[in-house]
Amino acid sequence: MFESVNYVLKENFSNLYRIYSIAKYELLADMRDSNLGLFWNFAHPLIQVLTYWFAFGYVLQRRAITTYGTTVKFPFWLVGGMVIWFFIHPCITNGCNAIYSKVNVITKMKFPVSVLPATVVMKELFNHLCLMAMVFVIFIIGGIYPCLQWFELIYYCFCAVVLGISLSLTTSVLNMLARDVRKMVMATMRLLLYLTPILWDFNRLANAPVWVKFIMKANPIFYCVQGYRDCFFFHKGIMFYWKSMVMFWGVNVVLLVFGSYMMYQFRHKFIDMI
Amino acid sequence: MNEEYAIEFRHVSKIYTLKSKNKEHKIDKKFYALKDISFQVPKGEVLGILGTNGSGKSTLSIILAGISEIDEGEMIINGEQALIAINTGLNNQLTGEENIDLKGALLGLHKEEIDKIKQTVIDFAEIGDFLYQPVKKYSSGMKARLGFSINLALDPDIFIVDEALSVGDKGFAAKCLRRMQSLKAEGKTIIFISHSLPQVREFCEKAMWIEGGYIKEYGDINEVCDHYAAYVDYYNGLSKKKRKQVNEEKFEKRVIPNDNKKGILSRIFG
Repeated sequence: MFESVNYVLKENFSNLYRIYSIAKYELLADMRDSNLGLFWNFAHPLIQVLTYWFAFGYVLQRRAITTYGTTVKFPFWLVGGMVIWFFIHPCITNGCNAIYSKVNVITKMKFPVSVLPATVVMKELFNHLCLMAMVFVIFIIGGIYPCLQWFELIYYCFCAVVLGISLSLTTSVLNMLARDVRKMVMATMRLLLYLTPILWDFNRLANAPVWVKFIMKANPIFYCVQGYRDCFFFHKGIMFYWKSMVMFWGVNVVLLVFGSYMMYQFRHKFIDMI
Repeated sequence: MNEEYAIEFRHVSKIYTLKSKNKEHKIDKKFYALKDISFQVPKGEVLGILGTNGSGKSTLSIILAGISEIDEGEMIINGEQALIAINTGLNNQLTGEENIDLKGALLGLHKEEIDKIKQTVIDFAEIGDFLYQPVKKYSSGMKARLGFSINLALDPDIFIVDEALSVGDKGFAAKCLRRMQSLKAEGKTIIFISHSLPQVREFCEKAMWIEGGYIKEYGDINEVCDHYAAYVDYYNGLSKKKRKQVNEEKFEKRVIPNDNKKGILSRIFG
């Protein structure tokens, strides 16, 4: 167990330049694919946010959300949570395909396969930073000004990176065993968008049974979403959510250990699985 | 462990699983891609590998490169090995120059190392201003030139060249051979897999002939090449029916009586 975690971490940290280069050139290739390039990295999430705002904010009349005594206009509240979802979602769906999409590389050269999930997350991290820049501009225009609490975003972003990598380690190996895994993950992610309190406020569950609330809070994606919103609007600080934090890192360690174990077990066998 | 040898194989076998033809036989067949391969390659030797299609040459090359694991036997490799693969790692959207960076990084080079080899690669590939064009605009020969040049700029101890020279024109092939000659002079071990008998004869010292997963002959280059050429002529001269029979015999020798297939859980935790 520890051997495999050690193996995966060592392989990742000794190949940082490789991870960076793969992510960089994948991004570049993606942008070359279309004429407008980088524009779509902004336009795609913007259109999606507008869609949800129309459906929930305009049609269903969600005006403002009040949490811990702070009231936030619905569009901003939505953007504050969605921005991290736009990072985690592609991390998980593309992470699942991380090894399979590089089959032509791993069958032709000696390659540290366990770095592939990290390359996918690195690539999405760049998109995320672009998006964050846009979100900052939107918030400042909307009258939500930066403050010291915004630095905590770095911590939550790191949480999302770790989550993306640990989950992708597992799913990318499973996807090599059976390609159905990716289809399942994609369907589950669509479900998770609604099961995670991203488009609706968690306080609407006030009357729900305790176990429902517990399951909702145990969702590691919710921890990141809640963290981002806290940094933007509520300013309660990282330690305020210590229970969620313990839960999040617990889930993460389990995922990381299991993913590393799978990766270690199969590291030389991927070529025979195609 | 003997340090004189770059590569040492002791009774190495590689097994693949075949899907059963009809659905009723649920149990898949197992099949020896390579069976009981033993040989030694001293450091600095150039070994040619011959064999008809499907006899296990490419399997041998990926095993040698350390990409695939062996199922039986023992394999000892002294030194860093690299498989010369032409088109892999080239991204069609990127320019030739960017591809040098990318493929260098894929192969595990650091930034300084890539900068160091870049000019060598550019000079060797001779693709001129196409260097700044996306690779999707390249002809297949140009792609091969670029890919091969990047690989040759590396500095491993053991080169494994699998059919790499069959693409590209004669001039470039000759240039590659010259480059490999100089590598040979530097004392690199080279495993040369090719269908081109003249190239093998010219370049290698020893040859190994694999047929149907077994080593058929291993020895001096000219002897093995002569026998192989004679066999290919004989095989091509056979009638259709006879040829099919020969193939089936070869196949039967490689199939293993099946054992129970392991479930997915035992594959994970086994």
